[in-house]
Amino acid sequence: MAAVLNINGISKSYGKVKALTNLSLQINQGEVYGILGPNGSGKTTTLGILLDVLNADTGSFTWFGKAPCKESRRKIGSILETPNFYPYLTARQNLSLVCKIKHVNETEVDRVLSVVNLIGRADSKFKTFSLGMKQRLALASALLGDPEILVLDEPTNGLDPQGIAEVRTIIKDLTKAGKTIIMASHILDEVEKICSHVAVLKSGNLLTFGPIQSVLNSQESVFVAANNVETELLKLCLSQIDGVSNIKQAGNKFFLMLVQGKDSAYLNKALFEKGIVATELGIQKPDLEANFLALIK
Amino acid sequence: MLELLKIEYKKIIPYTTFWVIFGLVFTLTPIVFYGIGQFKIQGLPVDMASTYRFPDVWNNLTYLASWFNLLIGMCVVILVCNEFSFKTFRQNVIDGQSKADFILSKILLMTSFALFSTLYLLVVGALFGFISSKSGDGLFFKDISYLAIYGIQALGYMSIGLLIAVLIRSTALSIIIFLFSILIESILQFFVPAPFDKYFPMEIIANLTPNPIVSSMMNQVNQGAIQGVQPPAIFEQIPLSATVGVAIIYILVFWSVSYFILTKKDIR
Repeated sequence: MAAVLNINGISKSYGKVKALTNLSLQINQGEVYGILGPNGSGKTTTLGILLDVLNADTGSFTWFGKAPCKESRRKIGSILETPNFYPYLTARQNLSLVCKIKHVNETEVDRVLSVVNLIGRADSKFKTFSLGMKQRLALASALLGDPEILVLDEPTNGLDPQGIAEVRTIIKDLTKAGKTIIMASHILDEVEKICSHVAVLKSGNLLTFGPIQSVLNSQESVFVAANNVETELLKLCLSQIDGVSNIKQAGNKFFLMLVQGKDSAYLNKALFEKGIVATELGIQKPDLEANFLALIK
Repeated sequence: MLELLKIEYKKIIPYTTFWVIFGLVFTLTPIVFYGIGQFKIQGLPVDMASTYRFPDVWNNLTYLASWFNLLIGMCVVILVCNEFSFKTFRQNVIDGQSKADFILSKILLMTSFALFSTLYLLVVGALFGFISSKSGDGLFFKDISYLAIYGIQALGYMSIGLLIAVLIRSTALSIIIFLFSILIESILQFFVPAPFDKYFPMEIIANLTPNPIVSSMMNQVNQGAIQGVQPPAIFEQIPLSATVGVAIIYILVFWSVSYFILTKKDIR
């Protein structure tokens, strides 16, 4: 996989406040990278630097292996913080202006307006839009020219539940189409549903990064109990079963992880073959929030 | 370059404020100019009847229009401040313009404004001139250079507007500072020794369109028509050609400083 974005030791301070400290990260083609962190952790600062509106104090980054330039920004669809448009222009006029700047064919305008369900309001002025509609227009603008990379800063901000679901569907479709997406968010659930990789920031420091399962322990665990046999025997048998790891005891129950491709039915069968009949068997959803909070403590 | 200018006009053609300001400037200029020619001022050694005639029309018209140049400068202040308050400058950069593109776009826009208003004055001046001059006196081109200098003045005021807007970023405050810059400047001038006090930017740019009454008095003094009168020190001026040179330097400095500020500052 080719690296789309390479960040080498970027730091940024606002006066005495260190917003970002020595951030390095590589993002490859096709990855959906979530940048996760509490408010003020440096997510928007990072994206602002990557989009050349903020000047980094030290460090460098490359898009597509090249030093940042306006031509590479044209190939990136971006939402950064609030939707910014000319209030007295209509949605269509605003987007056709962006087309001119991005050197994109203006036939794209109607397509992206349809994608975000705004085609009916295409000729209304931006200032008449609700916050949710403004956010949709920003997403539409990011989709102009069908860019290979999308940089989205809290894309569901200000949307109603239906809007959130719609935007997530749009983003999921983009991931299926193989786009590289870099998404900042403080909503854990959102990141978990959409992203393949995640980087966790806290007070400008990169705490951890990598595939989302490994960072957030997002894998489901299985619990099993067999009240008819000794717990020690159960434990021994479980440890002998292929594909079982991370066995933890809680009372007479055992929590464990299964490798990908094995499920609870497999575990049940394996135990049965060893002469153990489980009295309880179930799947435990991971507590992402607890994992995340433990991470940023 | 042309693409950048097209983008600028796409931004402002649907903008009402832009049309109101230019509408005001373009309708008031000929109306007020007509009105001035109808005045009769007792005791002034100025022949008001020649107001509309070639070649006086060029100096007179451009002097009047110079007051409306402040409005055009204000229009630039508003347009540039809008880019900051709507955060569209930031968005333009994100979408794929450079900061240099931004300044270049505004320079092109201002230059086009200066060209339009100069051409407009050419038409207005020609109409007034041909209606009131005796045909065939062949003075159409005499002193027509006032028009070109007026264009430089328009660009000058707009460039100050650009710099103030880039520095201040808030529309209301920028307009106030732009309009009061003449006042602020005259206070500063008080502390600066001659002859340097004559080289302040607002004064230099204002002097590009000399007051025709003062110039005609100066001419008469120089020609000895009014005997024994020394021109008061306040009317002592640097020659127009030098003023033009200094004004152009100021304009280039304003552009460079605006660019420098934009590249150094984060775009919030």
